[in-house]
Amino acid sequence: MVKRTDGNVTDLETLQRLGRAREFIDHCYDHPLSLDQISEKACFSRYHFLRLFRAAFNKTPHQYLIERRIEKAKELLGGDELRVTDVCFEVGFQSLGSFSSLFHKYVGHAPITYREKVRQREQAKRQVPGCFLVMYKLESA
Amino acid sequence: MIRKMSHATIFVNNQNEALEFYRDKLGFRVHTDAMVGEDFRWLTICTNDQPDFEIILMEPKPGMMMDEETVQQLRSIMQKGVLGAGAFNTDDCRGTYEELKAKGVQFLSPPAERPYGIEAVFKDNSGNWFSLTQPR
Repeated sequence: MVKRTDGNVTDLETLQRLGRAREFIDHCYDHPLSLDQISEKACFSRYHFLRLFRAAFNKTPHQYLIERRIEKAKELLGGDELRVTDVCFEVGFQSLGSFSSLFHKYVGHAPITYREKVRQREQAKRQVPGCFLVMYKLESA
Repeated sequence: MIRKMSHATIFVNNQNEALEFYRDKLGFRVHTDAMVGEDFRWLTICTNDQPDFEIILMEPKPGMMMDEETVQQLRSIMQKGVLGAGAFNTDDCRGTYEELKAKGVQFLSPPAERPYGIEAVFKDNSGNWFSLTQPR
């Protein structure tokens, strides 16, 4: 039985089951994941799961999945080993078009622009004395 | 052995406004103006005579190092003009005084004879005090 208070999921067992589904996304975000696959991990029917997940985490499982992918894409774009196209598939997107537009929506720049900005930032950072980098948390001590 | 100072911070209300003041009114050169973090602008200026001494124009902002309360405290101390002061040198205090005054720089005291030279005192547009000194 799921208890709700002001739209919040408070039942511990439900939270644990939702947590399992979220961990599943954390681990398998780079695969094409369907709502069925994700809800299965929590042992809820898909629509019930969708409602509970949103109530608990303030976003849909799909939004959570996209955020994980974008987060990883930012990390990979910060390095220079992979081309933008490779990054797109590496983090689980199926098309460059949807990757680019979602990335733009979440980050505010196209992936290639983001990469360029990170490079410029890294370049600029080399001129900043360490005490400032640490003080302003741009690097850890 | 420490040889010399290479960087010092001046806290300012707003980096754009400070840049306009220091570059366009005081005639400083921009040494570096670059985004170093997503929301962190590294803005340093220098004088022509000391291109290797960078003055960092830093905005107190919450997040990086300070919490909102500290930012407000710092801004209020700046506003009162008690955060600290600096001293700049010139070859011609009276001439520079007229020149800067014409550009709208606010002086707290006009050029006057001091034991060490001729000196005027001005404020930047964030409330920081500076001496403008023509040494003997």
